[in-house]
Amino acid sequence: MKVFINTVKDGFIKALKTTVTLMKVVLPVYALVVVIKYSPLMPFLEELFRPAMGLFRLPPEAVVPIITGVFTDEYGAIATASQFNFTGAELTTIAMIGLVFHSIPVEFALSQRIGLPAAKFVLYRFTASILVGILTAQIGGIFLC
Amino acid sequence: MLASASTIINEIIHGSLNTVFNVLKILIPLMIVIEILRVYKIMEKLAEKLEGITKVLGMSPPAILPLIVATVMGVTYGAGTLMEMNKVNPIPRKDFILIGIFFFICHGIIETTAIWSVAGANILVISAGRLFIAIIITIIASRLPIFNKNTHYQDQEQ
Repeated sequence: MKVFINTVKDGFIKALKTTVTLMKVVLPVYALVVVIKYSPLMPFLEELFRPAMGLFRLPPEAVVPIITGVFTDEYGAIATASQFNFTGAELTTIAMIGLVFHSIPVEFALSQRIGLPAAKFVLYRFTASILVGILTAQIGGIFLC
Repeated sequence: MLASASTIINEIIHGSLNTVFNVLKILIPLMIVIEILRVYKIMEKLAEKLEGITKVLGMSPPAILPLIVATVMGVTYGAGTLMEMNKVNPIPRKDFILIGIFFFICHGIIETTAIWSVAGANILVISAGRLFIAIIITIIASRLPIFNKNTHYQDQEQ
């Protein structure tokens, strides 16, 4: 029983520590994205990525959470996604793309440290995320509407 | 600028605190569960039962542990397990690459599913769907001819 209580306590402390780390990421990312959202850069980004996002049946602004996810992590992507009004199907597609291709700088370093060919794996994940995105969009278009 | 500075600052503070709070509601129970899984060595017990899966995925049986740890608990835990195992008994190169192929598509399934479903994504698609895609890709990759050149793996089998 004592072990169990300690385990729960450790988990709780870890969660709080993670939250602090998270704040450091989420706060600046969130601030940056809000500023970009209201700046003239946003329509430009939307036009630039409209065809690519169309491939995934996503509105052009979906590029913002996806790009955020690539450079920060899942939490950055979610914080960003919450600023726009996406439907459930769109969020599922964004999630699937983001879940395959995310936190690239951190996970590049990680795969290098464990001895995997890091650059090849980034390329692999990029390709896989596009395929997964298209697949989810097609399936989502049928079932989640 | 399409909005005033006060609107922007307001949105930044409210939105980011809201997001952190939402994540916290999931993160606390989640971290407790992960800690329980780790302390009671539940992954090790599960790995014993699921060893058969490695055959389908084209790996050797010991590869199941880092694979399950990464898939369920997260990539950092998986990488940690992998490094620990490599110190004691090195995993064949083929298994190593296949584990990478698998867990870069699908990792931290509890955590990511929980946070994304709160955001509004479909739970079944992002958990089971992702797992299914990772399995299919790994099965295909393990049958690719590039691995036949890898003598290290065959040496270990004989």
